[in-house]
Amino acid sequence: MRLLLVEDELDIQSFLKRSLEEAGYLVEAAADGETAERLAIDGAFDILIVDLGLPDQDGITLILRLRQLGVRAPVLILSARRSVDDRVRGLEQGGDDYLTKPFALAELLARLRNLLKRNNPPSNEATRLRVLDLELDLLRREASRSGQMLQLTHQEFVLLEYFCRNAGRVVTRSMILDQVWGMRIHPDTNVVDVHIYRLRGKVDGIGQQPLIRTLRGVGYVLKDR
Amino acid sequence: MSSKTGKAKLRSAAWRISFWATLAFAFGTMIVFVFLQRFVEHDIQRRSDAWLSGEVEVLGDVAKRTPKNALYGRVVSEVAELAGREVPNKLPSESDSNDSVFFLQRGGDDTLRLWVGAGSGEDTLEAIGKSRMVPDQPTDVRVRGFAVPFRVACIRVDDGSRIYLGLSERDELRVLNSLRLRFLLLWLLIVMLGFAIVFFATRRMLTHVRRITEAASRIGHSDLHTRVPTTPRNDEVAQLGLTLNRMLDRIESSMHQLHTITDSLAHDLRSPLTAIRGKLEMSLSAATQGEQAEPIVSAIDELDRLTEFLNQSLDVAEAKADALRLTRTQIDLDQLLRVMIDLYEPSMADKGHAIKLHSAGSLTIEADAALMHRMIANLFDNELKHLPAACTVIVRIQVSVDSVSLVFEDDGPGFSPEVMPQLFERRVKGRESNGHGLGLAFIDAVARAHGGAVTACNRGSGGAQVTVSLPLTSGENMIQSAAVTHGVN
Repeated sequence: MRLLLVEDELDIQSFLKRSLEEAGYLVEAAADGETAERLAIDGAFDILIVDLGLPDQDGITLILRLRQLGVRAPVLILSARRSVDDRVRGLEQGGDDYLTKPFALAELLARLRNLLKRNNPPSNEATRLRVLDLELDLLRREASRSGQMLQLTHQEFVLLEYFCRNAGRVVTRSMILDQVWGMRIHPDTNVVDVHIYRLRGKVDGIGQQPLIRTLRGVGYVLKDR
Repeated sequence: MSSKTGKAKLRSAAWRISFWATLAFAFGTMIVFVFLQRFVEHDIQRRSDAWLSGEVEVLGDVAKRTPKNALYGRVVSEVAELAGREVPNKLPSESDSNDSVFFLQRGGDDTLRLWVGAGSGEDTLEAIGKSRMVPDQPTDVRVRGFAVPFRVACIRVDDGSRIYLGLSERDELRVLNSLRLRFLLLWLLIVMLGFAIVFFATRRMLTHVRRITEAASRIGHSDLHTRVPTTPRNDEVAQLGLTLNRMLDRIESSMHQLHTITDSLAHDLRSPLTAIRGKLEMSLSAATQGEQAEPIVSAIDELDRLTEFLNQSLDVAEAKADALRLTRTQIDLDQLLRVMIDLYEPSMADKGHAIKLHSAGSLTIEADAALMHRMIANLFDNELKHLPAACTVIVRIQVSVDSVSLVFEDDGPGFSPEVMPQLFERRVKGRESNGHGLGLAFIDAVARAHGGAVTACNRGSGGAQVTVSLPLTSGENMIQSAAVTHGVN
């Protein structure tokens, strides 16, 4: 996957580049709009990360310009602004996504994956998800582990489905709040942890290998091996 | 028109201005008329007096010269009758006989010597006898059987008799009455016309002022782009509109500056925070999960709290300056609360709390979704952080005509008295609180940005109560179902 990273803060650019390369992306970086434009036209990128505050031009202007020039790759917008401007919302409607700084790396990676998936949707959506001995029937809304049916509430099922779709990858609390409850909030209480704790109590029975792992300070991961 | 709008109209400035202006105008014209009428009355009186004096003199002359024989009565009567036909201000009489003029000669022995006029003349003689008449000075005499008095002039003849010539004031009064009537009608017409002109002129002008007021009140917390309507005329009202617009320009530019400052502040802080967080995360993935990771994990936690604090501080700062930017969308408040309760219920249950929602069903409001989410999460966080174990939190949605109230009640210890007075100030928190003291200030900020308000108090039965009221926009989806209580336990 070829990725163009447009970020003027060299500090952020360098750690992002390293993390993204570790995650398997081929990263080219640009520190201003002009360089970004040149690179984007020459190289066929699969995805772009664009910071809104560039020294020579506004990030949105750059994106719109690239779209005019025929660049079709999805864009993840990084914003250090507090409120999300209407133009960002417009781009979001058009298939792009945004992330406000500061962010968790896991969330950045998850959003990149989502963007790529959204733009290359699988031919037919699976109706069953399987992670190790955990099985989810999306049509009947039933979950089972080692053939044993799990008694889950609707919300717990949605949460587990989200974990299964991201099996083996870190999900953060804000990602869970965004994807499962549909809100970008940052509660300073342990609301999400209690939900995970309850879900874990049902999924990881006594004597079974624990599937849901807590990564302190980062989030959670559903083990897939 | 309902009586409410009727009363509002009576209180309107246009109505009052036209009322007082018309009153002054009516009073003024009435005074002018009274003077005019007095003048006309005087003039008519003077003319008829002049005629009477002249005629009575002629009659006296005729009486003196005519020999006192059998023909005397006929000659004098004839002359008197001729004179009667030349009466000034005479209107056509209803009866054939001339009852507006009389001629009377009274002998020295107070007997009726000669009478020309309607009736026998005895009543007239009696009336004249009662009144003290001075020669050459016409006087009013009331005669029995006549509604209106006579103006009577008198002259003394050499033989000791007196000649009286009387003219009924009926015609004079009729002229004056018709004058009065016409004026009154005209006066009413002018006054009404004047009232209408003043009323519509002021209303037209004040409608403009009202439009400016309405537009100015619409230009609320977040919408500073609109301007009040202006007119091409260069009058005071247009000046008002222009001045308001110039003021709005200045406010908008200082708002813009504030946004620029907070944005660049946010940006300048967020960029290093992003870099720090990223580096911490990278060293975390490199480090083994264990004791080494502990300080890094807590550093990341602290950083996230710092970020949230930064967001809320700037939001509160902007909201205090009425500069919080809103992106309003349709939100189902009932639905939102149910999702929130679903999110918070396990944590609450862990501490032994119960949450109850009292809502009458779907209720759509126009609000900024992200801010509403954070505000309601804040309200729940507050309960979660401050309540001792095993309490009940009741969340109520109350709808009134033009606002919706979101009430959070609990049966905990309530707000401590020392924080009560400045509950909504930044950095105020209870002694045992571990928050950063922005919670209620932020809730207040969001409510105000939406044109609402927050009140907090301790309930009489113990426990705290926080009420967020938000205005309902027009075209509101009102609740259809009767109030149903949903328990969430």
